[in-house]
Amino acid sequence: MINQELTYWVALVHTPKIWTSRKNEMIAHCFRRGKTIADFFESDSFLGMEMNPQEYDLLLQTKSELPNYAFMVEKLLNQGYDIVPITSNEYSPTLKANLKYNSPIVLYTKGNKQILQEKSIAIVGSRNANETSLLFTDNVAKKASSEFKVVVSGFAKGVDKQALDSALNYKGQSIIVLPQGITTFASGMKKYYKQIIEGDVLVLSTFHPKSPWSVELAMARNSIIYGLASEIYVAQSDDKGGTWSGVCDGLKKGRMIYVRKPSDKEKCANNILIGMGANPVDVEGFPIHKTVDYEVSEGLWAVVAEAPASYGNVEGETGTSQSAQLSLPL
Amino acid sequence: MDRQEHEIRLKQIFGIDHFYDEQWEAIQRILSGERILMIQRTGFGKSLCYQYPATQFSGITVIFSPLIALMRDQVKALNSKGISARYINSEQSPEENSNTIQEALAGKVKILYIAPERQENQEWIEATRKMNLSMVVIDEAHTISVWGHDFRPTFRRIINLVKLLPQSLPVLATTATATKRVQQDIERQIGGKLTTIRGNLVRSNFQLYVIKVHSEDEKLVWLAQNLNNLDGTGLIYTGTRVDTEVYAKWLSFNGINAINYNAGHDADTRKDIENGLMQNRFKCVVSTNALGMGIDKPDIRFIIHTQIPASPIHYYQEIGRAGRDGKPTTIVLFYNEAKDENGIDEDYKLPKAFIDGARPSIERYSKAIEALKNEPLSERGLMKATNLKQTQVRVIKADLIDQGIVREVINGKTKLLEYQFGAKELDVQAFEELRKSKLKDLDAMVGYVNTTKPRMQYLCEFLDDEALVCYLNCDNTNLPKQTVALNEQWQNKLIEFRGACFPVLEVETRRSNIVNGVAASYYGVSNVGNALHRCKYENGDDFPDFLLKLTLSAFRKTFGNAGFDLVLYVPPTHSGDLVRNFATKFASVIKVTISHKLIKVRQTSEQKVFQNAYLKQDNVKDAFSYLDPNELIGKRIILIDDIFDSGATIKEIGKLLTTMGAEIIAPVTIAKTVGGDL
Repeated sequence: MINQELTYWVALVHTPKIWTSRKNEMIAHCFRRGKTIADFFESDSFLGMEMNPQEYDLLLQTKSELPNYAFMVEKLLNQGYDIVPITSNEYSPTLKANLKYNSPIVLYTKGNKQILQEKSIAIVGSRNANETSLLFTDNVAKKASSEFKVVVSGFAKGVDKQALDSALNYKGQSIIVLPQGITTFASGMKKYYKQIIEGDVLVLSTFHPKSPWSVELAMARNSIIYGLASEIYVAQSDDKGGTWSGVCDGLKKGRMIYVRKPSDKEKCANNILIGMGANPVDVEGFPIHKTVDYEVSEGLWAVVAEAPASYGNVEGETGTSQSAQLSLPL
Repeated sequence: MDRQEHEIRLKQIFGIDHFYDEQWEAIQRILSGERILMIQRTGFGKSLCYQYPATQFSGITVIFSPLIALMRDQVKALNSKGISARYINSEQSPEENSNTIQEALAGKVKILYIAPERQENQEWIEATRKMNLSMVVIDEAHTISVWGHDFRPTFRRIINLVKLLPQSLPVLATTATATKRVQQDIERQIGGKLTTIRGNLVRSNFQLYVIKVHSEDEKLVWLAQNLNNLDGTGLIYTGTRVDTEVYAKWLSFNGINAINYNAGHDADTRKDIENGLMQNRFKCVVSTNALGMGIDKPDIRFIIHTQIPASPIHYYQEIGRAGRDGKPTTIVLFYNEAKDENGIDEDYKLPKAFIDGARPSIERYSKAIEALKNEPLSERGLMKATNLKQTQVRVIKADLIDQGIVREVINGKTKLLEYQFGAKELDVQAFEELRKSKLKDLDAMVGYVNTTKPRMQYLCEFLDDEALVCYLNCDNTNLPKQTVALNEQWQNKLIEFRGACFPVLEVETRRSNIVNGVAASYYGVSNVGNALHRCKYENGDDFPDFLLKLTLSAFRKTFGNAGFDLVLYVPPTHSGDLVRNFATKFASVIKVTISHKLIKVRQTSEQKVFQNAYLKQDNVKDAFSYLDPNELIGKRIILIDDIFDSGATIKEIGKLLTTMGAEIIAPVTIAKTVGGDL
């Protein structure tokens, strides 16, 4: 469907130098007044939103570029990509509930958007995962698929790829969260063509459609993977890198995280994560009784707290039901 | 600023004193950021309604127009007034288009014309991300409606774009031809706050005639007798591409300065003919009406149709190109009302066939859909996967895209068709509805032929134009009826003409020493086709002598005494010596050595099995060899075959012989097909 508002949405998303959380505040500002994002840009005062001069100038610049965004949106829609704004009821409720004011303003997708409404799990882990981790991934994907849960993964080597292929192998559904713009994924689109048109795969990106793959985007993408899932399964984590920081962040936010209990011989940081409060599971993905050394975990929390957060710092976002409701209008 | 101040600027920039009231109404609204649909007759001055505002905006005005020739003329005119205007279209080289885009990006261009197809060009897409855009214009806006007379799928994208443009950006859509239904369809599609300004469509300087005839010969004869008596320069529109060639040759044969113009010509030739028309170098240009010439020539003095167009709206649009200077202009329509064995008018059949054949069968749609469910394919890939003709694949592709079943995705440099998740079933109902609507329009066109009303009134009423004026100037009111005098002298002249007018085989390429050849006749339009068919598929006898005679005349007329060294012939697909025997006789008459050394190195299928050029090319690729290549060096060769269809075989052999050192290869065949005869 062609919707004029999409131009305004995409323009807001790609306005530089304003944080996502701040943009979401602008959207909430419109919503509270019963106005649309188009009204926001077409009004001389941006609907009276309080903002600093720099923000005002940036938005004014964006306003002058609206025709250019119209061209961009037309091209995307013409090529069969969907643009799902945060206020759309097609937007993932799980993502919104998890990330709140840090939720991406729009999702660029290709494929079956209905998948965004389903129960979902993420399986995460190292690019260089060992055999056991891959077996674990396969088991968890199989279980999820049999329970009609969607498997979310990041299309990296190792665990990500295994999660996707296993989910499809067990006739499940999957979301591929791209570490790049949605139009730069031609080879993957071709490879999963049949699964996409049959409705088993949704490709999703939150970045500028033309962005190439980069380490920064790969890191930023992790928060989307965690955000899209109700439960997170960790196959294998080192004590640094994307998986590690993502899990630490998730734990801090009180997410439901399951970590595979490794054997004594394995070199990985899974046990540390369990120590920090993650739920240990066996290679089949079933919970095992947990013995936690609280002192160790308390000590580690301090380390985690010092680590740079991979996204936002909006106050009052502790996952209470109140703030969850506040984000619903979005 | 008020109207007076704007008119001062108008004078300074365009040298025009005043706006018409209707122009000013549109311009005023455009300057305040509104969206306008403007329906005004040709010659009203629609372009000023965007050209003037464009000079007042800070950024660039982009005009989407399907008429390449018109772009060229308008850009020239604007630049001569000191307004920086450019165009981007398929006529310019990629470098020229690229330069234009760079200039536009640098803010050096005020008015940019662009063909809608360019919307897919990567560099243009890049540029649209940064260009300072002030206004968008959709020229010939009726092309966005399937109910219009010239629907163009590529314009759908322009509409989608307009829907996405911010509310405050001015948009102007213009057309000279829109019924209420088309108007409403455009309004619905553009959406938003759109104001429609509709003027009256009467062209009072037109003198409208309909000439009813009882054979094709009568049309030819009337033209030969009368064309030079008409004032000035004009156009003849024929129903088919072949007829452009036949009519132009007939007129030349009668000493009338005519030239044919069709989509088969390359861009340079087309430009040259268009320039020639502008400079009145010809008495008339014979063209297919499918070709929107959009020539910005105010003094086209006559337009003659040898076939009825698909509807009165087509007709109004096509004749609308004439007489824009307001001076008397002659408009003639021929209609052959001879009945066939089923009681159908002869001239009803061709447009009816176009409507019935407008869409391939539903099975072919299904075939394409199945192929695309399997993998994404290019247009060419889809042709190969389905063995459908290019024209059919294009129709199917446009419909599937239109219905949202597939999308065309740009993947690097290739465009791939992708089936879409959640796509609906093919809506066949929509096709049937459209077909019925088109049949109704065609019947209304025949209604124009038979009406006793003033003819302009009939056209305006069809266009829902409610002007109350006195309609005159046609053979139903104050002008005499035209008739044709077909006597023996003219019949003999026609016979003489037919014995001397031979179809050209257009095969020349830069990479090969093959030259354009000649056929003795068109396959479908004479007794030649029947004779060939009988020999090839029924009795297997040698081709009759009259074919040899005719082919020899064609050869002599085209190549004269060009001095050839060797006659070769295309080896047959199946056994049979028809072409071999024919070529042998041919060679002995012209006293040139015959060679039997051109052979097939692998089995091929008959070309007629394949529905499109790609598969035909694949079928014959590397299929031939010559037994003694050294003897070809520097030789001038005649290459004989029976029927020329796509030309793939002849071209393949031409390439082979070129690599072996042949100096010239001249193809000669008995017949040339006219799209889909076989």
